[in-house]
This record gives sequence, C-alpha cells and structure tokens, in this order.
Amino acid sequence: MSKILELKNVSIKYKSNKKEVLAADNISFSVEQGQSVGIVGESGSGKSTLAMGILRLLPENTSELTGEILFKGQDITKLSDEEFNALRWVELSVVFQKAMNTLSPIHKIGEQFLDIYRVHDTTSSNEEIFKNINEMLKLVNLNERVLKLYPHELSGGMLQRVSIALGLMHKPSLIVLDESTTALDVVTQGQILDEIKKLEQTLKMTRIMITHDMAVVASSCENVIVLYAGRLMEFGKVKDVIKNPKHPYTVGLLNSYPTLRGEKNNLKGIEGTLPDLSKRFAGCIFADRCPHSSEKCFKAVPKQKTLEDGRIISCYLYE
Amino acid sequence: MKKYVFRRLCTGFLAVAVVFVLNFFIIKAAPGSPVEILAGRDNPSQQLIDNLNEKYGFNQPLYIQLVKYVSNILKGDLGDSIIYNENILKIIMDKMGTSLLLTLTAIIFAVIIGTAAGLFSATHQRGIVDKVFTSTSYILNSMPSFWLAIMFIMVFATHLGWFPTSGYSDIRHTYTGIRHVLDVMHHLFLPVLTMTLLQLPIYFKIAKSSVIQVLSEDFITTFKATGMNKKKIYNKYVFRNAILPIITVFGISLAFVITGSVLVETVFSWPGTGRVMMNAIMNRDYPLIMGIYLILSLSISIMMLLVDLVYAYIDPRIRNSYK
Repeated sequence: MSKILELKNVSIKYKSNKKEVLAADNISFSVEQGQSVGIVGESGSGKSTLAMGILRLLPENTSELTGEILFKGQDITKLSDEEFNALRWVELSVVFQKAMNTLSPIHKIGEQFLDIYRVHDTTSSNEEIFKNINEMLKLVNLNERVLKLYPHELSGGMLQRVSIALGLMHKPSLIVLDESTTALDVVTQGQILDEIKKLEQTLKMTRIMITHDMAVVASSCENVIVLYAGRLMEFGKVKDVIKNPKHPYTVGLLNSYPTLRGEKNNLKGIEGTLPDLSKRFAGCIFADRCPHSSEKCFKAVPKQKTLEDGRIISCYLYE
Repeated sequence: MKKYVFRRLCTGFLAVAVVFVLNFFIIKAAPGSPVEILAGRDNPSQQLIDNLNEKYGFNQPLYIQLVKYVSNILKGDLGDSIIYNENILKIIMDKMGTSLLLTLTAIIFAVIIGTAAGLFSATHQRGIVDKVFTSTSYILNSMPSFWLAIMFIMVFATHLGWFPTSGYSDIRHTYTGIRHVLDVMHHLFLPVLTMTLLQLPIYFKIAKSSVIQVLSEDFITTFKATGMNKKKIYNKYVFRNAILPIITVFGISLAFVITGSVLVETVFSWPGTGRVMMNAIMNRDYPLIMGIYLILSLSISIMMLLVDLVYAYIDPRIRNSYK
C-alpha cells in the first residue's frame, strides 16, 4: 500500500482587515491508496477549509497555506498554477456540497459536461466523449436524457448524482466529497454511498469524505479524522475510534448522536461553543470545554502521539 | 411561448389604455389652458376665448371630449397640435429622428463603456483602476445633467471654440453629403458626451455588482476545480450569467429614447422630441402632450415585452416559467 496523500504541518490562515484567523493549525496525516478517510467535526471546525486547501481553491488574496501537501510523493504546494491545473479533475477531483449550484443555471448540462471534459482532453471527438460521459451517468443511475436539460429541471437528488458523475468523469485517483450527501434524504444518501463504494473498487479511487455525520463515516470509510477548531484531535481506524473513542472531544461528539440499539440515554452535547480562532491559544484549544482538563492543558499544546492501534491523538490524558 | 406573448400584449394594451385615460384627466386638471395662451395674456378678448373653446370642443363635458378623442385615435388620427397647428404624428415623426440620433448614440456608448469598465472593476477589485472608476462613477452620478452641459459649452464651445454651442447643424451653410454628416457629428459631440457621461455610472454599477455576484456563485468554483482556464470561464460562463440585469436597464432606457432628453436637448437647443414635449407642457398643448405620452407608453410596453423575450432567450429558468 502506498501513500496517495500526505499532509505535513499544514496550516491555513484567513486574513481580513488586520485580523488573522487560524482555520487549520499544524495538521499532519496521511491517506493510503484505497483507504477512504472521513473528516468529521462540527461546523466551523475547518473541514472544508482543509479540503479547499488541498485542492487549491481557497480565496487567493485572503488566505495563506503553509506546510507540505504530498500527492503521490510530489509536493503540490510547490506547483505552478498551470502544473496544478493539469492535475485537477484527472487526478484530484471534488464533489461540492450544494449540488443545486454546482453548474451554471443557464447552460445545458451536456454542454457543461463537454466543456469540462474538453479541459483535459482536446483530441477525442464529441461522440467518444459523450460515450464516456454516458458511461459515467449510467454508473450513478442517471439517464443520458439529463444532458439535454438545464440544472433547474432536475431534482436535488438527481443533481447530486450529476455532480458525482461530473467529478468521476476522468476517473480521478483522489476525490473529495464535501458534504456531498448531507442534503439528501437517508434513502438516497444510502444508495449513492453504495454506488460510490462500488465505483471505488472499479475505478481504483481513494475518497476523502467531509461530513458532520458520524453515521456516514462509520458506514463508508476506513479511517476517520476528528477536527476541532482547525486542530487535529484524533485520527485512526473508524472501527477503533467509533467503538472506543479516546480523545475527550471525540467522546463528546459521539455522545451527541443517538443510537438505535442499547439503552435509552439522554443525548449529551458538549458544553460551550467554538473558540474565536483569531485569538492565539497557549494550550490545548479544547481545554475550555473539556471535562478532563487540568492546569497543564492550558499551558502548552499537547504533542501528537501514536498509540498502539495506530491512532494519532493529541491529548495529555494519553502521554 | 406564443400564449405568453399574446397575454403580455393584452396586459400591455390594458396598461397603455389606463395610462392614456389617467393622462387625459391629469393634464386637464393642471391649471391654465392652451386657449389662454393663444388668446394672449395681456388683454384677452372674451369672444376669442369663447370661439377657441368652441373650436377645440373644450366647452363640452370632459367625458365627451375623451370619447371623441379616443374615437379619433382608434381611427389613427392623433389630431392637430394647438400651438403648432400641425398634425401631431407629423411633428413627432419629424423630431424623432434627431432625438433618436442623440439618445441612441449616447446610450450605446454608455452601455459599452460602462459595462466594460464594470467588468474590469469587478475582476480587478480594490486595484487602483477600480478605485478610479468607482469614484468617477460616484462623481458623475451626482452631477446634474444641465450643469454638466453648461460646463461643457463654457469650456469646449465658448472658451476653446472646438465645438458649436448649440443646434443640430450649421444653419449658415447648406452642406450636403459627407460634409453634412461631419457637420452634424460636430454638433452632436457635446450633447452625446454629456448624455453618455451621465448614463455611464448606471451601467458601470450594474455590470460591476452583477459580475461580482456571479463570481461568488458556487458553479464558478466548480469550473476552477476542473482546471478550466480563466478566459473560458469568464467568456462563456461569467459574462452570460452577468448580462441579464444590464439587459433590463438597457431595455428601459431604450423605451425612453423616443422622447429624448428634455434637459440636454434644451441646453444644447437640440431639435428633438424632448423640446417639443417641453414646449407642449409649457403651452398646455393638450393633444400634443397626449400624443407624445401615448407613443411613450406604447414604446415602453413594447420594450418591456422585448426585454422579457430576450431574457427568456438567455435564461432557461425564465423560459420555463412562461410555458
């Protein structure tokens, strides 16, 4: 197994009117080929920022990314825009959250598919291209009739499939799904997740799944990253982390979800709210809301530790 | 679609009819009458006034006047002007050409330059050019048209002598052919410049905000993520999405083209419909005012229909709602 993506000390800052917001702080993890990863955390935890950072889609003037992002061993932060553009969609693809607005409302879907396909293929004939596009549409259970329609003529679920087909068009080796199934009902969500998992096998694709839904991660990913306020709290195998969460934040997050089986318990939320990321924190950023925090938690940031089961955690409870 | 056009024509006709009747009563309600002006202010003779009232039917009840007027209009006769004593359609047609020349030229320049500047500002936000454009547009927007016109006359006509102060052509010469065209263009320059500068900020602001709005749409991020080059994204997807509000404003301005611009035409003594309208109002020339307003309301409702059809052509979401 080889590493398809490796982040080394990646930090992302948003700059606005003399204020700096540290949206991602010193994040390191790696993704193995074929081992899909879920990134979870509450709203504002930096999940999407991190994904947009990997895809070089952050606002150019108001953000700054430092650290290394190795894609198949190559540091993609060093690439020029042209070199990076050559990787886009063919190697690194993405399916966005709001399927309703993923495509231009006044151009036919087929026209946009063709234009996007043509970005990375200038030689094939239109017939060949549409043959490939139709194949992709079949994979997500869509009729090729949608190509003749405009985005507003489709339902939300169909558009979600359209965006997935669009993202898979060039059979990328890494695809980011940014809350791509959040807006769907549970039945459609389940169907699409099954389809994607099947596609991963046939296309040899690795997936990064951004969501705040633990259930989605539990049912479709190998590994999970728990983010809080732009910091990596815990990273490990889904079965370990969900069955036996170690970091107090992960424990709190999992306690906020209801279970189908087992005893009837009152759901517990996590006390407090997200910290203001424009301020600097000397210690662990979760210390404020953590039920186990002690004096040292406020003084210095805990180091990342790798536990026996391979999980990475940053908390003084496991030093 | 046909059904939609038919429905729009019907509602347009209804609107024109309502505007027409309202105008009729509002103008009659205004103090003064053309008879007073014809009879003279200093020493009017009661007999003359009575005769004139009799001649134009002003002594009859209002509703009878309205019915008579409407029946004439339905026969295609707008009647004669009281002051000019000429057929109204002929007066308007005579002056419309010069008004169209002035306003249409100015609007076309304003649309092209304003939109181009707006696009540039939107894509180079907070740059020095954007700042210059935006502040210039504020200044132009707050300038009264007659003041700007007078300043131009003072500087370029009186002081520098580059352009004539007023008029449509040089009445001391009777040029023909290309020489005539150049003469008219020479006279046209200052009024067109004034009108263009005054209309620019509207198109600039709309184009700028519209492009900024489209650039923040999610589908632009999609195209960026696919690696499509900027030029293609802009030319095909940004501009066509951003053009819609510009079309609306352009259509509305076009509707007013036939009445010209009263202030600019007056300051430059431009012989267009704007000045005819001004004179008609000052002299309470009822049939002429009604004629101009009728043509104006017709052209507005036709332009609005055309704008909606162009919209439907560009935006499929609107096309669908018409079905």
